[in-house]
Amino acid sequence: MKKKTPILLTTVVALGMLSACSTGQGGQNQTGNSSSSAGKVTTIEFWAAPNPTQQAYWQELAKAYEATNDKVKINVSAIKESPTSEASIQSAIAAKSAPTISENINRGFAAQLSNSQALVPLDTLEGFDNVIQSRNMTQTIEPWKFADGHQYVLPIYSNPMLFGWRLDVLKELGYNEPPKTYSEVLEVTKKLKAKYGDKKFLWAKPDLADPTAWKRWFDFYMLYDAASNGNKFIEGDQFTGDEKAGTEVLTFVDNLRKENGLLSRQVTDPFENGTGIFTDVGPWTFTTWAEKYPELKFNETYALSMPPVPDDVDPAQSKTFADTKGLVIYASATKEQQQAALDFIKWVYSDANNDAKWFEQTNLPPARDDLSTNESFKAILGEKPQLKPYADNVPNAVPPMDNSKYNDLQTIIGEQAFNKVVKGEIAPAEGWAAMKSALEKALK
Amino acid sequence: MDQRNNKLGWLFTSPYLIYAVIFFFGPLIWSFFLSITDWDLIAPTFNFVGFANFMDALQDSSVHAAFWNTYKFMMIFVPLVTVLAIGVAVLVHGLNRFKSLFLIGFFLPYLSSGVVSALIVKGLLSYTSPVNVSLRSVGLDINWLGSPFSALCVVGAILAWKFTGYYALIITSGLESIDKEVYEAAAIDGVKDSQRFWRITLPLLYPSLYTTLILAFGVTFGIFTEVYQLTGGGPGHATNTWQMEIFKQAFQNMQVGYASAVALLASVATFISIFVIRKILEMWGKRNGWV
Repeated sequence: MKKKTPILLTTVVALGMLSACSTGQGGQNQTGNSSSSAGKVTTIEFWAAPNPTQQAYWQELAKAYEATNDKVKINVSAIKESPTSEASIQSAIAAKSAPTISENINRGFAAQLSNSQALVPLDTLEGFDNVIQSRNMTQTIEPWKFADGHQYVLPIYSNPMLFGWRLDVLKELGYNEPPKTYSEVLEVTKKLKAKYGDKKFLWAKPDLADPTAWKRWFDFYMLYDAASNGNKFIEGDQFTGDEKAGTEVLTFVDNLRKENGLLSRQVTDPFENGTGIFTDVGPWTFTTWAEKYPELKFNETYALSMPPVPDDVDPAQSKTFADTKGLVIYASATKEQQQAALDFIKWVYSDANNDAKWFEQTNLPPARDDLSTNESFKAILGEKPQLKPYADNVPNAVPPMDNSKYNDLQTIIGEQAFNKVVKGEIAPAEGWAAMKSALEKALK
Repeated sequence: MDQRNNKLGWLFTSPYLIYAVIFFFGPLIWSFFLSITDWDLIAPTFNFVGFANFMDALQDSSVHAAFWNTYKFMMIFVPLVTVLAIGVAVLVHGLNRFKSLFLIGFFLPYLSSGVVSALIVKGLLSYTSPVNVSLRSVGLDINWLGSPFSALCVVGAILAWKFTGYYALIITSGLESIDKEVYEAAAIDGVKDSQRFWRITLPLLYPSLYTTLILAFGVTFGIFTEVYQLTGGGPGHATNTWQMEIFKQAFQNMQVGYASAVALLASVATFISIFVIRKILEMWGKRNGWV
């Protein structure tokens, strides 16, 4: 007995370790990724964005769809962020445990995935055209077409990023509305610094000095899209940046720095606390503000505007960056699952009320052409007037690039030009030239 | 050792051997395979690229930064954490009551989440935090995470805060194992109180110190969470680390083959560095007659 005990113990420990290696998904994969032959029920895995609101939205719709179609079972779960949702998806695909369908996919990441043949071209699935027509999104989806002519992502929302201005501070400085051109913004900066010195800055945001790729969407791209009338910057594998517009953007940022209008240091909620009076604002912010900063009231303490433009550009023509994400269907799913996933999406978007519910719950403008005109959305826009500027500017928003190297490329924008100009380490024209050269090298 | 005991020995070590095969040797071989391909783990096909990934990594400025930053962190973190851990251990060892309670208290940061501690520090170092407002009022305007040296120091200090209690625990056990009679004999021989620590405690503490120093040097090769949360490897590449670089390449740029090459280079750098450090520490001990 004494001899058997350590052997038994060792075996148990070894087996325990091996069982701990299991993901616990083996069984689920067998039944989840294929249709059950007995009941002919197709099970699809839907990964929702990692936030409770969107997860609840999709869970509710999945249940409603299951009630109308007993041949489909939809398991909705949130994408794990370990450490990012993109990394989780990548790991899941590599581990052969990818979902059938997921949301929260930006165009650049979709380009990476489609480049690796991990996505289904949605336009090859039966009924995709019906989704586009019934959702009234023919124009909105057009710029989403990839270089190979296919559509890999169905945009759920298209959110034109706007700049928020602290209207209360602007009024103190003698302005009743946000400035629209570069020289007007510089004038505001001078007055702000004269009144508040180092207590307030025009643009206070640590991300300004951070080269992390996605951060450029919310500073450089917003200004660049406005200055260049929505020029694509990178198209396919070509650098197509507008040098005049780009240099003007960098010069504007440099001028703000010279006026001590930028604060790129770590600072907590600078716009909300009034350390900065100008910042990018997405509609997701309003829920947080309502809970954490109820004193921030639209058109009282803050205003929203399209990005400022160079003096020779008409502010009415200003464009901005589209923070937009959508749905993709994975190539690793079976044909039945892929079709079942598309049928579910078709069902969801056949009713504008589902988009209205989305808009109401998430504040993110659905990617549709008729957002400002469709009756289904009028009540929401009336109730939440701060969302109206977003709805109005959906057509003026430019989606991100579809290059699979977008992470590298956008890091270059920061490292070679934008961050350096913010820190005063390079002249705008030199920054643009260095960035252009590095981008062209990376694109080869 | 007879045949039967030999088999039993293998049996007892089998859990670790299985663990090592699954989690170390298997991934090592897999990683080497990936490093000679351009695969992203997703695409159905891939190409063998030979040692191109290694050549690219050796010329990559962010990899160079990760290499050198490891030693910069070492210069800040290791002395700081060692001094603090010895200090805590000596203080706790001198207590007559609540010794365990204090040790647990110092050990708690080790159990805390790196994400949470980084976020707290982020708040503390905010431009508008009371700390910085007070410093500015006396003319000290420090851009803590914006300048290379201070960013390195901040990350080094967080790590030191986190690991001090753990290392103090090891050193305390070393102190506890020193026989009181040694001190009594030294006192009889005329060793002054001021000489006690350097002449008796430190030499007898050498085995514990050796362990903590090796562990501390090892930590600097695995820094990730604090850097990821606080600086993202910046400003520029000033706080970029091996782990940050591997993460960026594998999970942001989806260049898994290249990331594997960087990981293998990191392993080689770690192995050589720890080997050299071990030899230096052993020489230090031998030279002073401590081993």
